Amino acid sequence: MTKLKTEHLTRAFLGLVAVNDVSFSMDEGEILGIIGPNGAGKTTFINLVSGIIMPSSGRVEYKGRDVTYMPAHERARLGIARTYQLIHPLENLSLIENVMVGSIFARRHGLKTARAKAAGLCESLGLSGLDRDTSRLTILEIKKMEIARALANEPEVLFLDEVMAGLNADETRELIAQVQTIARERKLAVGVVEHVMGVIKELTHRVIVLEAGELIAEGPYEQVSKNPRVIEAYLGGAA
Amino acid sequence: MNRNLLRALAFAAGALAVSLPAFAGAYPLQVARNVIMYMALALTWDMLLRSGQISFGIAGLFGLGAYATALGVLRAGMGDWLSLAFAPVFAGAAALLIGFLILRLRAMYFSIVTLALAEIFRIVIHNLHDFTGGPEGVVLDGVMLGGSAAALYWLTLGGLAVALGASWWFEKSKFHFALTAIRNNETAARSSGVDIFRWLLATFVITSAIQGLLGGIYVQSYGFATPDSVFDANFTLLPLAIALLGGIHSTIGPVFGAILLGLSSEWLKLRLPYGHLVVYGVIIVVVILFMPQGLYGLARKGLRRAEGRAE
Ligand SMILES: Nc1ncnc2c1ncn2[C@@H]1O[C@H](COP(=O)(O)OP(=O)(O)OP(=O)(O)O)[C@@H](O)[C@H]1O
Ligand SMILES: [Mg+2]
Repeated sequence: MTKLKTEHLTRAFLGLVAVNDVSFSMDEGEILGIIGPNGAGKTTFINLVSGIIMPSSGRVEYKGRDVTYMPAHERARLGIARTYQLIHPLENLSLIENVMVGSIFARRHGLKTARAKAAGLCESLGLSGLDRDTSRLTILEIKKMEIARALANEPEVLFLDEVMAGLNADETRELIAQVQTIARERKLAVGVVEHVMGVIKELTHRVIVLEAGELIAEGPYEQVSKNPRVIEAYLGGAA
Repeated sequence: MNRNLLRALAFAAGALAVSLPAFAGAYPLQVARNVIMYMALALTWDMLLRSGQISFGIAGLFGLGAYATALGVLRAGMGDWLSLAFAPVFAGAAALLIGFLILRLRAMYFSIVTLALAEIFRIVIHNLHDFTGGPEGVVLDGVMLGGSAAALYWLTLGGLAVALGASWWFEKSKFHFALTAIRNNETAARSSGVDIFRWLLATFVITSAIQGLLGGIYVQSYGFATPDSVFDANFTLLPLAIALLGGIHSTIGPVFGAILLGLSSEWLKLRLPYGHLVVYGVIIVVVILFMPQGLYGLARKGLRRAEGRAE
């Protein structure tokens, strides 16, 4: 079943077209890789579908409903959640309170229910010391906290924008396993942006490739990684 | 920490505050009334500050409430209590309209607009001669509650109870999560489903209504209002200094800040008239430079360090 779909989605910043005519769809239970060189428009694309910025043209559809211009907080309530490439901790709230926020506002749970649900989410991600200040957390813990906060929305679609960046090999392996479990248990559609191809290869069922805002390839990672246009895009970016 | 001890202390302070007229003379009671009034205003200012929005418009809403009460009595024939109730309704309704226009603004832009609005209210009232009495203001037939010093003190204390209750409720409810999330990171807040505008509007209306109520209490306890008395910049600046000194983003900070600053300023006023204003200025500067979290923040840090050592 299609959860999220875009049609000809486009966003320009003062002449620079950051996302250009992108049409894609995501199914229930699918883990989709979103790859492309730096500046390809991956983060902008997530900003557009999660409502953080509005498109110049095109359409976003969530479970058959037009959400193109719906504000971010309403999309969060409908079931679209995301994390941020640059971490966004709420530093005056404790670890568990950070997670509770999603439950309180996206789900409108009372504080008690929210706390219980947040504790459960933290546990499933292996987080402990739940009353700590965010300043006391490791990078891995902050990333997990932000995943937990997104999951507290009880979403059906989740975007993870470079959550693995800055983690070592062991931490990355641990997080990959957890994301896989969570996606399976919750039948989530997950969009994953990562620069490490090993992660994409292991985690995703399907990949879309962006270059200069355009969708240039789509398919299973094995197939896409052999696509000459994709190789060119990456080599061009590296040169 | 020791919650029972805190509760006992709060209870003792409350009992002392309520029973003050039994043993305090006219002058200390007057001082206490001032401290209480500014404490309540400082709390309302801090409540909005918890969202990151800095208002310079306290005097504006205080003055609106004051005039709502005075004109309610004089022009609409309201009874004393009804006129008091009218103040928060009027100030809250004004805040609702204004909020729609200005709560998209942030940081300095919001602050300056609130400052300008307070000045606009003053000028409008100044110039609506026939209705508001113009620069000479309006005088009530008498002071409420037969002018009893004790009763008027309790009335002001009632105003404080409203502000304290609201501030405490903000700390214990969804407001705490909404306002802290908005202050820390609006983008993250939106992604977690926080309707930022709605929470800011609710907070602005509630704090403005309480500021209006306090203005109404002020008019009913002094029996008159002039544009220069009820829109006085002190009603904006003192609460700010109090909250900053005591510790922002908390209920306890403004409470201690008001006691400290209120009592010390009374003492200073006797020694160097006018000099106390300089002292406020110096306090604001010193606090902002050296302890932005105020005395309460300092104490919390000290406690945490002590606990860390004890572990
Ligand atoms: N708010 C903005 N204003 C102007 N230009 C922007 C803005 N946001 C993004 N851009 C530009 O849009 C393009 C796409 O940026 P985006 O962050 O989406 O790329 P990305 O694929 O996420 O890159 P990276 O892999 O480095 O994170 C870049 O050229 C960027 O400079
Ligand atoms: Mg990016």
